[in-house]
Amino acid sequence: MKQYIRKADIILLAVLVAIGLASTAVLALRGDDSGSKVVIKSGGEVFATYPLSEDRTIEVPAPGGISYDSPRPHAADEDDECTQYTYYNVVKISGGSVTVSSASCRNQVCVRHGSISKAGESIVCLPNRLVVSIEGSKGGSYDSVTS
Amino acid sequence: MTQSPRKPSGSLSASFVARVGLMAALALIFSYVEAIIPYNPGIPGIKLGIANVVTVIALYKFGARDAVCVSIIRIVIAGLLFNGLFGMLYSLAGAAVSLAGMTLLKNTGLFSVAGVSMAAGVLHNLGQLLVAAALIEDLRIFFYFPVLLFSGIAAGILVGIISTLVLKSLR
Repeated sequence: MKQYIRKADIILLAVLVAIGLASTAVLALRGDDSGSKVVIKSGGEVFATYPLSEDRTIEVPAPGGISYDSPRPHAADEDDECTQYTYYNVVKISGGSVTVSSASCRNQVCVRHGSISKAGESIVCLPNRLVVSIEGSKGGSYDSVTS
Repeated sequence: MTQSPRKPSGSLSASFVARVGLMAALALIFSYVEAIIPYNPGIPGIKLGIANVVTVIALYKFGARDAVCVSIIRIVIAGLLFNGLFGMLYSLAGAAVSLAGMTLLKNTGLFSVAGVSMAAGVLHNLGQLLVAAALIEDLRIFFYFPVLLFSGIAAGILVGIISTLVLKSLR
């Protein structure tokens, strides 16, 4: 180790930061149009599609219980506890925005993600393999990439 | 290059087994210490990965074979003990991608330990993201890519600096 930092390190860092900034920009610039459809995917398959304009609460079962060690102990203060399934996410559509209001997973990332309301936005729950996303009515280029 | 003298090929020498076992145990302790430190950056999937210091040192002092063996042993045991099976899957994918990248970059001879480690941090996160995308069968998860990229850079550089200092003392 002759030097602690070499020229190639700096170049690599610059390239990585550039990639990071570029991808941030691309993600920020994607469609700003308000979406119309809420698509819920579970375990890689489309579970259901709902219009964004109608308020409703959907209990989505997670595919199997193998994806994490044990479900989160049921919290007493949850209003939206799911009654049907042990492994689940409760998806709530209300007033044009979508949230995951409760989930059986341990990390609760999907619940803390907050609400989404624009086309192209999504909430992901990895342990339950759930993707909730909003799609526009037009079906722009972004959809064709991901479909 | 700082390669220790090694048996020609093939058979596992006693010193190799002992060395890898020792380093795997050390890495496992680092994994454990990191798991019990109650720090939460508020963003899922982000951590320093102190155990990777051992991987980097194994790579630089003893070569790729040691680094691969130490990583696999550490990840499998840590998975069984505290990360869970899916945590193990993510870690294995990340380790595979980052070890391949580290070995390549190191062999170019152009990068310092910190640079190699930085690339490894980014590649590790990329590997995990690919597994996540495969699991949920949806590429939308890549909205998380920038966050993981920058955190990978930061964690990788930190691990690289620690590794540099340790390697200097091990001389």
